[in-house]
Amino acid sequence: MTVPALTGYRRPGGGWGVRNHVLVLPSRSAANAAAESIAEGLGGAVAVTHEWVGHPDDPDTELVTRTLVGFASNPNVAAVLLVAVTGEDRALAERIAAAGGMPVRVVTMADHGGTPGTVEAGRPVAAGLVADASGLEREPMPWSGLAVGLECGGSDALSGITANPALGLASDWLVAQGATTMLSEVPELVGAEEILAARAIDAQVARRMVQVVHDFERSVEALGVDIRGAQPTPGNIEGGLTTIEEKSLGAAKKAGNAPLTGVIGFAEAPGDPGLYVMDTPGHDIEQMVGLVAGGCNVIAFTTGRGTPTGSPIAPCLKISTNTAIFERMAGDIDLDAGRILDGTHTLASMGEQIRDAIVATANGALTASERRGNHEFAIRRTHYPERLVT
Amino acid sequence: MSALTGLVRHDGRAGIRNHVLVLPSVVCSTHAASEIASAAGAVAITHQHGCLHVGDDLRHTEQAFLGTATNPNVGAVVVVSLGCETLNGKLLADRIAQTGQTIELIGVQHSGGTARAIQDGLAACARLSAALDALTPEPIDPSAVTVGIDDASDALAGPLREALEARGLRVALADDVTGPEAHVELACQGSQLIVSLPGEFEGPTGFPVCPVVAVGRDVDLHRALADDFDVHEEAASHGELAQRVADRVLTAAAGEPTASERRGARDFVLRRLAVTM
Repeated sequence: MTVPALTGYRRPGGGWGVRNHVLVLPSRSAANAAAESIAEGLGGAVAVTHEWVGHPDDPDTELVTRTLVGFASNPNVAAVLLVAVTGEDRALAERIAAAGGMPVRVVTMADHGGTPGTVEAGRPVAAGLVADASGLEREPMPWSGLAVGLECGGSDALSGITANPALGLASDWLVAQGATTMLSEVPELVGAEEILAARAIDAQVARRMVQVVHDFERSVEALGVDIRGAQPTPGNIEGGLTTIEEKSLGAAKKAGNAPLTGVIGFAEAPGDPGLYVMDTPGHDIEQMVGLVAGGCNVIAFTTGRGTPTGSPIAPCLKISTNTAIFERMAGDIDLDAGRILDGTHTLASMGEQIRDAIVATANGALTASERRGNHEFAIRRTHYPERLVT
Repeated sequence: MSALTGLVRHDGRAGIRNHVLVLPSVVCSTHAASEIASAAGAVAITHQHGCLHVGDDLRHTEQAFLGTATNPNVGAVVVVSLGCETLNGKLLADRIAQTGQTIELIGVQHSGGTARAIQDGLAACARLSAALDALTPEPIDPSAVTVGIDDASDALAGPLREALEARGLRVALADDVTGPEAHVELACQGSQLIVSLPGEFEGPTGFPVCPVVAVGRDVDLHRALADDFDVHEEAASHGELAQRVADRVLTAAAGEPTASERRGARDFVLRRLAVTM
């Protein structure tokens, strides 16, 4: 076949965006209302809100800061308006600008008497950033500019048979062109770690692959809890999955058969193009934020139970594992891999359809969640003071 | 001073606000919930929780949703579930219903996607709002109002408690948390109004179903954020400041919007007990 061409927005920091958003980012929760009001009704601008209070002695400060910096400097973001509470919060803007190279402006609530003045001052700044961004044009983008996160959410017994292996074929093809793909959700790789490790490009990556899964298992043991009910979820079980290992073996199929280039931490950026595993939780939104913060500019998301999820800044292409949910949730899901079951498609032809849809999405075609305006966001924390009693 | 009025609920408690709360049981249904609330003039909570919790963390999160949904300021609830979440939306709705609260359950998967869930949610809100609008505020005793103070360790907390109690109001103090995380716990315990005493380096936040009266102290940041505070210290003694805060609490209880309500701040910051799986 002829390899299709990609287009995107070349960013000053060297990355390539497939979208051109102005992100209005509150530095902490006290700026949420101001950020939302600034972006309200302003096409081209998107605000996120979050539960980060920003206590300076919070042990998760570095993780959350890395997440916010990575997310805001994703190349799908043309420019950032940081809504800071205090002058100290401006340090976040400097880190974002250093990471992404894009324009970062700051409106500081303490300079404007609080929320009303901040909204008044911030709206023209955001409008100016949108005007500047709208002057940017797509240009031919190299395959190395594309990074696709591979997610599944609301898995069922068909996930490992239809949508996930079809996405795996698309992933293999993307990696062969020189793009990056990222598998994640370590809790849903329990039992599949040796299979992935066997494909590692070297012994160090193989060890790291096994290590992240074992570290997760040990952390669960330390909590002293039974994770059944959380993994697999009630919806997974209703969908026919029995154990986390069964779910994992299906989940890992999203990564196809490409060599495993690296294993990276939550919200960390990968190196050279290739297939990576990012250490994220299974939670759809914490995971998606981590992938986007690590530089993914497209998300491919398989679902059996059906979910409307989308990211504020990265197009999220959703693929159903079965036709019933695709038809039932019309308008929320982009592709139906259930057609493999009725013989309309083979795994190979569905893989090609997903591949083509990823390319079209990267080139600007809107996904269902973008049309709906889904923009879920979450802060990942790892420090908890109390031991669980169950 | 105007006499207080409130909406007397099925259990005898009184609301000083009359919200229809659109409560997503999981982050995945927050967008549908927000769309429903904004079109219906209801209040939605935006949060990042509801899936892949374990142990006490799951029960604690469910309790936080249940407690917020049964706060006296909430006249009726629409739970918006996705359908496959760990924190089962149907069970949450059942538990809320068991308290006697008026509730309807919408499921994004059950309705057949976001668009239909929004339609179903709007229809539910219309039914519930009609019933709430028919309620007539009744005179209530100040003792029917519990004021939560979000930082028990603040030197102002003691004088403030006295000033509030002197006006006949009840007072609740947050246990072992402060700030936005304390707001959730105070609302769950039934406080209809929250007095927030942000720290020197913190800005004030709001809460979805309770007015927050924010007290600005004589520190640079609070002076710089004056518009987001309701009462300013201005060199007052703790005793004097407590009196002014208590007076402002009464006007807020009588219906005058607080700074948090005016700016639409509806932060829901949940204290979590364990890492997300």
